[in-house]
Amino acid sequence: MNRSLDYLFGTAVGDRGEDAQGVISLVRQWAEKEVIGNRLDYQRNYAVLFEEKARVLALSMGLQRLALPEGQGGFGWHDPGHVADVAAVLSEVGRADSSTGVLLAMNYALFSILTRFSEGRAGLVEAMTASYLDDELKIPSCALPGPGSMGRETPLYKGRSIPALVESRDSGPTLSGANIRPLAAGLRADLFLAVCAEEKGRPCIALVPGDNPGIERGSEVLTTGLNALANADISFVETEITQESLIKKPEAVPMLFTLLNLFLGGVSLGAGMNFFEILGGWSDSRVIGGSTPLKENPLCASVLADVAEDIACSRLLLEDLARLVSPSGRAWSLDTEGQYTYAVMIGARIQKGIMRAINRGMELMGSAGYAKEWHAEKHWRDVKTIQSLLCGVGAEAPVKMDTARFFYDCREI
Amino acid sequence: MDHFDEFSRPLEYLSPLDKHLRTVLRKYIEQEVMPLRRRYDEDWKEHALIEPAFDRIMGGLGLQKALFPQEYGGWGLAGSDYIFRFAYQLCEELGRADTGMAVALAVTFWPLLVIHLEPYVNERLIAEFAPMFCGTNKAVFAANAMTEPQGGSDIENMGLLKGRTIHTTARLEGDQWVINGHKLWPTNSGGAASLFGVPCTTRPGSADTDDFAFIYVPADAKGVTQGGPYEKAGMAADKNGDIWFDDVRVPVWYRAHGPGRDAEAFYQLISFGQVASTAFLTGAMMNVYERLYEFVSTRTYRNRPLKENDAVAGVIGRIAGDIDICRILGHEAAMMGDRRNTPYGLPLVSEELVGKIRNIKDFVSDRAVENLGKAMDVLGCYGPDRDWDIEKHWRDIKIIQLWMGGKQLCQMESARYFFNCETL
Ligand SMILES: Cc1cc2nc3c(=O)[nH]c(=O)nc-3n(C[C@H](O)[C@H](O)[C@H](O)COP(=O)(O)OP(=O)(O)OC[C@H]3O[C@@H](n4cnc5c(N)ncnc54)[C@H](O)[C@@H]3O)c2cc1C
Ligand SMILES: Cc1cc2nc3c(=O)[nH]c(=O)nc-3n(C[C@H](O)[C@H](O)[C@H](O)COP(=O)(O)OP(=O)(O)OC[C@H]3O[C@@H](n4cnc5c(N)ncnc54)[C@H](O)[C@@H]3O)c2cc1C
Repeated sequence: MNRSLDYLFGTAVGDRGEDAQGVISLVRQWAEKEVIGNRLDYQRNYAVLFEEKARVLALSMGLQRLALPEGQGGFGWHDPGHVADVAAVLSEVGRADSSTGVLLAMNYALFSILTRFSEGRAGLVEAMTASYLDDELKIPSCALPGPGSMGRETPLYKGRSIPALVESRDSGPTLSGANIRPLAAGLRADLFLAVCAEEKGRPCIALVPGDNPGIERGSEVLTTGLNALANADISFVETEITQESLIKKPEAVPMLFTLLNLFLGGVSLGAGMNFFEILGGWSDSRVIGGSTPLKENPLCASVLADVAEDIACSRLLLEDLARLVSPSGRAWSLDTEGQYTYAVMIGARIQKGIMRAINRGMELMGSAGYAKEWHAEKHWRDVKTIQSLLCGVGAEAPVKMDTARFFYDCREI
Repeated sequence: MDHFDEFSRPLEYLSPLDKHLRTVLRKYIEQEVMPLRRRYDEDWKEHALIEPAFDRIMGGLGLQKALFPQEYGGWGLAGSDYIFRFAYQLCEELGRADTGMAVALAVTFWPLLVIHLEPYVNERLIAEFAPMFCGTNKAVFAANAMTEPQGGSDIENMGLLKGRTIHTTARLEGDQWVINGHKLWPTNSGGAASLFGVPCTTRPGSADTDDFAFIYVPADAKGVTQGGPYEKAGMAADKNGDIWFDDVRVPVWYRAHGPGRDAEAFYQLISFGQVASTAFLTGAMMNVYERLYEFVSTRTYRNRPLKENDAVAGVIGRIAGDIDICRILGHEAAMMGDRRNTPYGLPLVSEELVGKIRNIKDFVSDRAVENLGKAMDVLGCYGPDRDWDIEKHWRDIKIIQLWMGGKQLCQMESARYFFNCETL
């Protein structure tokens, strides 16, 4: 394969500013030099090298500061005008390592939300920004509504259970909720961005510092993928937070879902693109039947085509979704609800498309696709993990319900 | 439905051993394997946890003796008319707990079948190898070392390529075979097996099946070198690695049957492997059903049990429905193997039987890969959680779709039979 990914998958580079192009190029260099070029080493010493390489990216290269406000030492990419750029950067990161991508995606979602709802919380924004300027790898973790448990009725966010409740007390808002499963990184997170319900059951977002004494963490959960972001259940036990750490605006939770679908779509797309490269290398060199190059066998070629088609379509969808939720997307006449619906619908479609591409491509790689050494299987596990986390519970049932509600005015689902 | 045992299978197909074996085996598995299996992934290299479980099941319970005739201390099952169904049941039951363990056991039978199944019986070799497997309470493994670095599918594509691409050579010198070559990936390699069955060629590049040889090589023979196990996405209980044969000498009578007959006896193996693979899959799917049942009954959407939501029910209904159908198909595949000696059965070397059984395995693999992925999604944020076991099965079974020549070869073999294709 001697043509570039940009050429093969077409991209709206013309819409991109010079700054964005610069960051993307830098991140690509990081991905290729630090990770992709040293895959075997990276795989064998994953725990150590993840930390090391993530620090280079986040701290030395400044990606941790990308979404911090500009006047305060950041690059200002929290701005909605930058969502397409953020998604593109995350694709580059995901190409190297989905865990690093997911970590940054949660960071960017956090600062996008925080700055969008900054009114009345200037002090908090400033303090959080300052802490992200530190020379320390920051680990935020999102906890979204998901499956509920029998016998524990909870408030709902569009059918999904909200396991954490917030009560207003004289001392300030107090959170409670047991055994909440964050998306990732629950074990070490230094900040939780948790969807919770206020007294009237309305969903809101609480920002809870990881060292808050009211947080209890369970033991590490072993997971299919995203292994560098060790997860654990968390419980809020009468956890006191400040008033400004509670974002009650009704648009906040839909916006969080919207951003996560876009950003994690970017990460998975990147993983899919690197899988494409791995498969491309394999199909260039593998011979079957004693003499036929694998890619010249019509059946294998048709599988290769399916893989490329799924990745190409996912990339187009991601770019459209980014446009749709950016300020220029207002031209699409969608309100927050519409943007949310498109985001969850397209987000699920992207994850499904990438997953299908990897699953099919692995068919052609025989045992190599299954061996850790080739790295294909890591993308397969990582993307599957992101897909399961994002689509909620019941295999996309919540996404389907959101979609049906929007398009058909369903009221009971 | 009260129990996963109620997934359909034609009751008239069950082997006489079915009830007894299922009871004993299930008890063992639930005591020895289920409680530890969540820790198997980290044990992929050492097998510190896995090996004692193998000892109990293969050595203690005696399953590794099953093929050998009773006069050698075995159970005599290779001579029965229900060996495929016995294997199906065994593999399904073990696969429910851990498909990696199931494959390690089934592959121990695999090369041994080459000398056990009528009309390809080699009494002298049976007598030679019986003590290795029947005379101990420790687990003893065998491996079927087909795959080579340049490709596994071609070697399994016997129908068309007839061994033409095999690089591993066997040269006759006096009363010894001298073997040279490099194999990789066999189940129970990576240091586990005591005995290898090695498909090799006596004339490199030949497509004459007379030049295909199936020769047994003890793992401790001089000139055999093994690499450590590979790290994989799943199936930690199966060790897979490289084996190098460097002027390895074995007695001339270690060749299974001789020119022409080796290829036929080896070809029989392919269907056995496919039937066992289907059984691993239905076993894993049944366990996924058990775990999924618990999840959808105890977890909620809109504060009601997931399973009572029509949209979720649509998904889980399809998953269970597919398991039911796959299990019927799997038993049919096993029965096809066991019908081989009846007037209406097909010999194991017939293209029709090979094509149809490959087709069933391909179909069931696809259903399993898709349904296990769906089951993970039903669990949402708990889908990737090891404690729910579903993700383990999802990782483990993907390779079942890919091994034994891969999915595309299955499709080709089906087309070859159903459409009389001649060049695929
Ligand atoms: C857990 C595990 C257990 C294993 N157990 C064993 C074992 O016991 N013994 C053993 O020998 N090997 C074993 N293997 C290896 C496995 O069987 C092979 O990897 C498999 O047969 C595929 O071979 P390959 O990886 O060399 O891929 P290749 O043979 O290179 O195939 C690559 C792709 O080409 C396709 N292809 C090949 N030929 C054709 C064709 N004619 N037309 C169209 N498409 C084609 C294949 O379907 C596949 O998609 C095991 C592997 C694993 C991971
Ligand atoms: C060629 C032809 C031959 C036919 N032959 C016969 C015949 O011989 N005898 C006869 O009586 N009829 C016959 N029918 C009619 C056919 O069986 C019905 O159309 C069919 O049963 C569906 O009923 P319906 O059209 O009233 O749709 P509805 O019953 O209104 O269903 C509409 C949709 O709602 C879904 N739905 C219904 N209940 C539920 C639920 N509880 N949960 C979730 N989804 C639900 C259905 O699956 C369907 O998708 C025939 C139709 C055709 C076209």
